[in-house]
Amino acid sequence: MSDPTQGNISIRSENDIVAARRVVRDLATRLCFGVTDVTRVITAASELARNVFLYAGAGTMWWSTLDRAGAVGLELRFEDHGAGISDVELAMKPGYSTSRGLGLGLPGAKRLMDEMEIHSEVGKGTTVTVRKWLSK
Amino acid sequence: MTNQNISVAKVRDTLMVTMPADPDDVTVTIFQEEVLRAMEKYRPKGLVLDISVVETLDSFFARTISETSRMVALMGGRTVIAGMRPSVAITATQLGLTLGGTLTALTVDRALDLLTQPHPRRRLR
Repeated sequence: MSDPTQGNISIRSENDIVAARRVVRDLATRLCFGVTDVTRVITAASELARNVFLYAGAGTMWWSTLDRAGAVGLELRFEDHGAGISDVELAMKPGYSTSRGLGLGLPGAKRLMDEMEIHSEVGKGTTVTVRKWLSK
Repeated sequence: MTNQNISVAKVRDTLMVTMPADPDDVTVTIFQEEVLRAMEKYRPKGLVLDISVVETLDSFFARTISETSRMVALMGGRTVIAGMRPSVAITATQLGLTLGGTLTALTVDRALDLLTQPHPRRRLR
């Protein structure tokens, strides 16, 4: 049986944040990311999964492997149907937080990953997609 | 999923805590409570927090560590974080984490040396 190339895990509790970290660890390790990149990807996933739980209460992390023109990587998509982010630019500012967090989650996750996209609609929800490519 | 237990051991005048590799939020919260309880019970000079097996240090975990070290300082003790892995240090720096001036050491051994020094390098604010 070949390894799955995509899947998802729901985030509804603090324990699911740990479960999401484990899924991402297995995925990044399987793709042969180095130990520092594995740590970066897991930490980014932890921040984004916590955001889903903290701000929307529940959501889903979709993961997939990427293979584009020989470049191998992974993609994580965090989807929720929470209140949405009214000012994405402001939310990306280090130190800005509407909860009692450190305000590091979004800008920090962006620095740890290679690519990041945020789509958010007030009242509808937020989707944060991040990608990390395996450097050769 | 069960919560990993946190054991707080008193060795001479110091509290020793080893964090598990991938602690969940509940474990991290329990760690803070256990440390403060042990501070009151044993009245040690300080706390050595061994994070040498910790693989993921996210903002929640880092905030709890720096909060705990401030609480320990208010109670009259000093905290030394020992054994952070290189991959964790790189990631924490990129994420923008600080440990709020908490003392750090490469190993538990050196952390104990730091705690037995009569004059700390720096006071916690």
